[in-house]
Amino acid sequence: MNREELLPGTLHLLILKTLARNQQMHGYEIARSIQQFSQDVLQVEEGSLYPALQRMLIKGWVKAEWGVTAENRRARYYRLTAAGRKQLEVEKAQFDRVIQAIARVIQTA
Amino acid sequence: MLVRGEVFARELEEEMRLHKDLKEQELVADGVDASEARYAANRQFGNAMNLRERGSQAWGWEWIEHFMQDVNYGVRGMLRSPGTTLVALLSLALGIGANTAIFSLTDAVMLKSLPVKDPAGLVLFGSGLDQGISDGFPNPELYSYPFYREMQKRNQVFSDVAASFSMIDHVHGFIEGRSDAEAMNIQLVSGTYFPMLGVQAEAGRMLSEEDDRKKGERAVAVVSYAWWTHSLARDPSVLNKKLTIGPTVFSIVGVAPPEFFGTKVGEAPDIWIPLAMQKEIPPGWDGYQDSMFESLHLMARLKPGVTMTEANADSNLLFQEILHGLPGVPLNQENLQELDKTRVELNSMATGFSRLRYEFSEPLKILMGVVGLVLLIACANIANLLLARSTARARELAVRQALGAGRSRLIRQLLTESLVLALAGGALGVAFAAWASHLLSRMVLDGRDALQLNVGVDMRLLLFTLGVSVATALLFGTIPAFRATTQTLANSLKEGRGQSNAPAKGRLATALVVSQVALSLVLLVVAGLFVRSLVNLTKVDTGFNRENVIRLGIDASSAGYKEDTRLADLYRRIEERINALPGVQVSSFSIFVFNEGTWNNSIWVQGYLSGHRDVTVFHNAVGSDYFAAMGIPLLAGRTFGPQDTATSPKVGVIGETMARTLFPRGSPIGQRYGHGAPEHSSDIEVIGVVKDVKYWSLDENPKAGDYLPYAQNVRYLKDFEVRYVGDTGAMISAIQQTIHEVDRTLPISDVMTLDEQVARSVTNQRLLAQLSTFFGLLAIFLSCVGIYGLMSYVVTRRTNEIGIHMALGADRGKVVRMVVSGAMLQIAVGLLIGIPVALAGGRALAHQLFGVKSYDPAVLSAAAGLLVISALVAGLVPAMRAASIDPMKALRTE
Repeated sequence: MNREELLPGTLHLLILKTLARNQQMHGYEIARSIQQFSQDVLQVEEGSLYPALQRMLIKGWVKAEWGVTAENRRARYYRLTAAGRKQLEVEKAQFDRVIQAIARVIQTA
Repeated sequence: MLVRGEVFARELEEEMRLHKDLKEQELVADGVDASEARYAANRQFGNAMNLRERGSQAWGWEWIEHFMQDVNYGVRGMLRSPGTTLVALLSLALGIGANTAIFSLTDAVMLKSLPVKDPAGLVLFGSGLDQGISDGFPNPELYSYPFYREMQKRNQVFSDVAASFSMIDHVHGFIEGRSDAEAMNIQLVSGTYFPMLGVQAEAGRMLSEEDDRKKGERAVAVVSYAWWTHSLARDPSVLNKKLTIGPTVFSIVGVAPPEFFGTKVGEAPDIWIPLAMQKEIPPGWDGYQDSMFESLHLMARLKPGVTMTEANADSNLLFQEILHGLPGVPLNQENLQELDKTRVELNSMATGFSRLRYEFSEPLKILMGVVGLVLLIACANIANLLLARSTARARELAVRQALGAGRSRLIRQLLTESLVLALAGGALGVAFAAWASHLLSRMVLDGRDALQLNVGVDMRLLLFTLGVSVATALLFGTIPAFRATTQTLANSLKEGRGQSNAPAKGRLATALVVSQVALSLVLLVVAGLFVRSLVNLTKVDTGFNRENVIRLGIDASSAGYKEDTRLADLYRRIEERINALPGVQVSSFSIFVFNEGTWNNSIWVQGYLSGHRDVTVFHNAVGSDYFAAMGIPLLAGRTFGPQDTATSPKVGVIGETMARTLFPRGSPIGQRYGHGAPEHSSDIEVIGVVKDVKYWSLDENPKAGDYLPYAQNVRYLKDFEVRYVGDTGAMISAIQQTIHEVDRTLPISDVMTLDEQVARSVTNQRLLAQLSTFFGLLAIFLSCVGIYGLMSYVVTRRTNEIGIHMALGADRGKVVRMVVSGAMLQIAVGLLIGIPVALAGGRALAHQLFGVKSYDPAVLSAAAGLLVISALVAGLVPAMRAASIDPMKALRTE
């Protein structure tokens, strides 16, 4: 499987968007979800995912709660906060600007 | 926080385990071999440990974990060498504790603001040092009640003026419902006193202007919080209680707030009563309307915006105006001239005023200096110990650096360890200080139980202490920390134990030991000078024989006696009964014995036109046997006898100085003089001359004094002296019992021997001598520890070299000499530096010394000798150890 590297700075955006789509998810579900939606192109490194989640917890974009999975295992579930929702808009706008800028550079021959 | 960190790590680990397991399941479901799947899952996850650290860093907990590790490590290190740690902790605890204790006493006596509203706006007329009742004119220290009222009415600069009686009345009164008289300390104040200070009542109300309008009208009292606590056990019905003092029943109308002790530092009254009631309070002063009854301390609050200079100008103007117009003031030529020359001096009363402060501010400053030096010596010790430890650990630190520990991390660790040491020492110091300041205030007050100081270790002091200990740790922890981490790794690892950077360490340590020796010498010299002063003072001839005399206070005024013949009868009956007791030689009443107060007024000698304004004569009224009881030798004429009665011609016995100054021509026997006014100049016939005595202090110059028989001068005599032989305790109870057989209601107080009373007068000299000796010895001990530590270190370092010496035939004696001479060199240098400093210090203390020169050679050589001997012992121990080295082992030591 050939997987693409994540664009720098987009991990937060991906996590926020993923959480916005679902009520609450644990870490593995977030990683799986990103992978599936990107049709296996984007692979989130676990080594990046958990530190990123910790940072987002500190910033108050997400909150975490211990719960139980369908297979009856303890898991930490993350959900989006109001601040996280706002941040998602900010990051999305920023991402769009960057992508359009890149597109302009590439298209201008 | 560490717990939280652990929880965090555990949770993250669980979260990641779940992730790995789920991934593994997915791979297996996709058809991957089970072990392959686990491997893949693990590989993708990366370094779990690293991940955890990164997660933890994100939370910023890293430094806390490191700090806790360092603390842990530091405590373990301290416990590994308990001897060193104990010495370091003790040095710090004593150094910091002594500083805090002395500082809290200084704070209480000198620095603390009065616990009233805006203390900075308060001023005092005069110095507040005088107390008593004066009829001298004019008097810028003590004021009459009519003067106070005029000043209050006419001034432009004060928002209010208040007055307090300059003496506390020590009376015995009854609390409603109790049958025994209890001692009460009463402060008479003007009605404006509490409103001007802005003191609000804890319960009920304080005194007001209404209570001080008319003489004898309102029998009301405000009690102190402390008195309410210890005498009434905080009885909530306090405001319904009555106090019976003399024949008058007072209503308690309020309780003062707990922090308010009065305005005079060191004197905390139990009860405040309006000045209008002064005649009702024993001994029944009657000066409420008397312009020449100068007995009050005058205080005021500046109007907002008024400067001290303006207030001074206005007060001086009014002082002149009021005294020129006050009814009852004798405005003769001489008094007018004196008034013209007299100025009032206003002083800030922000910190209250105090005789105690006057007596102790100098000794306390000296003690602050002394304990400061002790702290320096203690710090030098800590520095040396830290240096030695870090040097011994050079190899350990090098290994850790080689294993990848960051330099800043190592420095932080060493600093944390010093900090742990300092804080532990600081905590011990605070505990020690709490105990020591209690002890100290007891020493300062020395049995004057009625007077109390508000000494407490407060928040500011705690911060001060903490600051000192932390600064010590950082200062003396930094040097070794930097040094230990800057050396070349390879060298340290090669060099072996305790060898790295040795010369530099040796230089710094030597400098520290030398300064310790110098400082110790200074402290010892100071201690020696104070001890000799005290010894000289106690050897002073008081003029009376202080041995074998019991003295006690008898408060006849509180028992309802008036100053009439019944009172004289009472005294004579008691004297007779006591004289008949087995073991009693003779007894007598008097107003004063020693260090209690004085009674003086102007003296007029027959044949001289003017009074002797320049001569102060201290009067005393005494019983016939006073001179025998006190052992005061008669030099000429006779003393009082049964022939001197209320109706016989008035007679007096005078001291030799009075005889010499007032009766310079011929024998004074048979000559006449009088007190108070020219018309009295032939009242008293001199019948005898006795040896001079000391009145107030042991170091005072000879004073003029006279004695009058109480039979002819009936007044309250508070003191009773008994010359006795035998057991003191049994005698005291026999005397008290006999007095109560005469009159059961007579309150007895202040029972002690005359010797104790004299000793009490040198409290501050004794305080200086005892404390400076204690700190001097402490300084020697700390310095010896320093010398011992340094010499041990030198011996350890030179083990190899000493082994070679011995292998080449040097005997043990030579080795001992070699080591000891090293120690002696440092002591010699220390002494050379210390001697001039000690001499300079001694000169600064000169006016606190008595009968000893600041450069006293005996003191200097004793101090130097003591220091040399103790240092020798401290150096000898490691030297002996060096001499017992086995050469073969020493050579192999690496």
